[in-house]
Amino acid sequence: MQRTFSRRKLFGALFGAVTIISVDVSVANAQTAGGNLIVAQSSNPPSLDAMVTTSQASRNITMNIYETLYGFSEDIRPIPILAEDVEISQDGLTYRFLLRQGVMFHNGKEMTAEDVKASLDRYKQHGGTGTMLEPVKSIEVTGDYEVTLTFDEPSPTFLEAFASPRAPAVIIPAEEAAKEPNEIEFIGTGPYKFVEYVPDSHVTLERFEDYTPNENFEGIDGFGGRKTAYLDTVTFRVIPEPGAAVAALETGEIQMLEQIPVPTARRLASNENIKLYENMPWAFLTFVFNMKEAPSDNPKFREAVQVALNNEEVMGIATEGLFQLYHGWMYEGSPYDAGDIGQEYYNIADSERAKQLLAEAGYNNEPFSILTDSNIPEHGKAAIVIAEQLQAVGINATVNQVDWPTALNIRLQDSGWNGWTLMMGIEPYLGPVALISTLTGDQPHFRATDDQLDQLYEELISTDSEEGRKEVFARIQQRLYEFFGVVKLGETGLMQATRANVEGFKPFRFPRVYDVWLAE
Amino acid sequence: MVADTEIADVRAIKRELAKARRRGWARFMRRLAAHGSFKIGFALFLMIVMLALCANFVAPYDPNKSDYRSILMPPSLDHWFGTDGFGRDIFSRVIHGTRVSLGIGLAVVVATGVLGIFFGLLAGYVRWLDNLLMRIMDGLMAFPGVLLAIALAAALGPSALNAVIALTITFTPRTARVVRSSVLVVRELPYVEAALAVGAGHGRIIFRYILANSLSPLIVQLTFVFAVSILAEAILSFLGVGPPPPAPSLGNIIAEGRNYLQDAGWIALFPGLAIAAAVLGLNLMGDGLRDVTDPRMRSEREAG
Repeated sequence: MQRTFSRRKLFGALFGAVTIISVDVSVANAQTAGGNLIVAQSSNPPSLDAMVTTSQASRNITMNIYETLYGFSEDIRPIPILAEDVEISQDGLTYRFLLRQGVMFHNGKEMTAEDVKASLDRYKQHGGTGTMLEPVKSIEVTGDYEVTLTFDEPSPTFLEAFASPRAPAVIIPAEEAAKEPNEIEFIGTGPYKFVEYVPDSHVTLERFEDYTPNENFEGIDGFGGRKTAYLDTVTFRVIPEPGAAVAALETGEIQMLEQIPVPTARRLASNENIKLYENMPWAFLTFVFNMKEAPSDNPKFREAVQVALNNEEVMGIATEGLFQLYHGWMYEGSPYDAGDIGQEYYNIADSERAKQLLAEAGYNNEPFSILTDSNIPEHGKAAIVIAEQLQAVGINATVNQVDWPTALNIRLQDSGWNGWTLMMGIEPYLGPVALISTLTGDQPHFRATDDQLDQLYEELISTDSEEGRKEVFARIQQRLYEFFGVVKLGETGLMQATRANVEGFKPFRFPRVYDVWLAE
Repeated sequence: MVADTEIADVRAIKRELAKARRRGWARFMRRLAAHGSFKIGFALFLMIVMLALCANFVAPYDPNKSDYRSILMPPSLDHWFGTDGFGRDIFSRVIHGTRVSLGIGLAVVVATGVLGIFFGLLAGYVRWLDNLLMRIMDGLMAFPGVLLAIALAAALGPSALNAVIALTITFTPRTARVVRSSVLVVRELPYVEAALAVGAGHGRIIFRYILANSLSPLIVQLTFVFAVSILAEAILSFLGVGPPPPAPSLGNIIAEGRNYLQDAGWIALFPGLAIAAAVLGLNLMGDGLRDVTDPRMRSEREAG
């Protein structure tokens, strides 16, 4: 039996490569080609070599330039993008990727199996999510438009991991794939092609006239679908100061702002020149314990913290009001949502119970140092509110606010910190494997490993049905609410804004500048 | 007896001297009281000090109590200066922040005063040490003041004590220099020679004759060190190397308000005004002290 992941194969077969640009009549304003769009974001992309970096600032830009074989759809399932389909052998050891034909690179050459193999080989060596291709034994060209991956043992979650946009396994020309990280020409197959990058200033893209839209879809879908570039050029400008970026949006100097402060969004709500978008949920805000350092090495103590917290207050302040409360370790209503498990511990702010648990834990006013940083406002604010709430139940909580790189360094130590505020942006989106992998293995966020959790993770990645994995994930959530290694504080949103004449923009994990056009 | 009358004479002279000293002190106070800008500065600074001392009674709210139901509220009757991103009362935070900032400023003044006097006297009085000490001070002064403080505070880690240490190291050379230059002048004066001639010890000469007569420029200098420390503390806090949050130092409040300049400008405005008021008060006081203690300027004023 062969399983297929192509959603609209029939549609594609019928229409072939005949239709090039489809006009979506359901939208009131007709799309118009042309114009220049300027998008502002707060930081430089560390690299535009998409596969080597996991940075959001890079992804915002690169996902408009490059494409992957498979990517996530709007409802977070793997869909073919540069692939036509994948055939998985019954034993789960062979994945035969059939490629779309006639897909052009920005350098005018056609994408073939050679390019795919070279790109995946390069990913194996330099890819940002190194473990992604680890279970793959060999990558072979088995036809002009066919690449076969073979495995030593079945890894049922491979396609989900392979579709991950974290450090996307983009396909680049074979001659570029031979180069070292960050030394390539930025050539992809996407609807926009790279023009120039001036660090601290901007990245400019222009429409790729020979773009080959994916005829298997009617419109865009997640990272894939049928993409159409309307704009002549798109410039991503780097504006670190939020106030300056907002001012630029208000004057019309830029047309799209990747993130706008929530209070500013409230002020601009009545401004008819500006459209606001709530990208919700965007990330988990979490509070990670160091399980190797007293007093947080004691599960009773950690439970006391969990029940002491008023998550609504923490989230309300940390996100300036753009948040939702949910106890689950997957988004509510997402495929792996485990329901009510753990709810009885979430957002209960029960100081009596906390004090009792502290007494049971034998807590004797040892300092509880909360590590946080000043670069990501949600982190610092959450830490301060948590400290205040913990002081109220008698915990000697202090805040150690440093800069982000220093925090990342300190949290890798076994001592010197007790709690750490962390936003998990991409992992909860990618699903249970990506999320739980950060809590297991050699370097779990909470320093000490939890054997039961590690076992559950192994079970998760070796279970081959989604139903089965759902059940395992429910037990993982149960376990997380038993040893309290990490507190889920809540879910944050991302407020985005465009000028009113920007049409077609749909908030997503990165600003999709294709299928966006400027009204007359 | 001859000896008795001599003793009586000495006593009489001592009494006269004490009287003259009191008169001099009274004249000094009168001059200060008559100095317009000193009065304004003193009143301003006194008010700020009183507010800071009575912070617990004056502040209507706990400065660190967050309240997510009232974040970013504009100034109102409930919150005179509005609230910040945590829903904390800015008025209470500014009052407590003034206390933190003044405390740090005062600690720096005391520390630089003591160290400045020590190194200044040593350099000015012990000739062979002069070159060595002053070259070290020159080395420290080669760095722009605030930059050195930032570098030191960043190296030491964020805390109020480390901010004091960083600022003390930064400002001590300047104070030491002022003390040394007065010492160099004073130690050549006839009364020091006279004291040496009658066999006074080094300790007596240094403290009784030299230091006592070198103090006035130092006091003026210290008022400026106080003002600059308050400013520098705000800079350190603003950059995140001062007292760690949630401590309400004035620089911390401004740093938190920076992101809201357009949407909630009151957060940064009021602590900014508090810093301006404290520094203005100190500078006016310093000007007044300088005018009154500097004989040259005094005679110019009196002649004019």
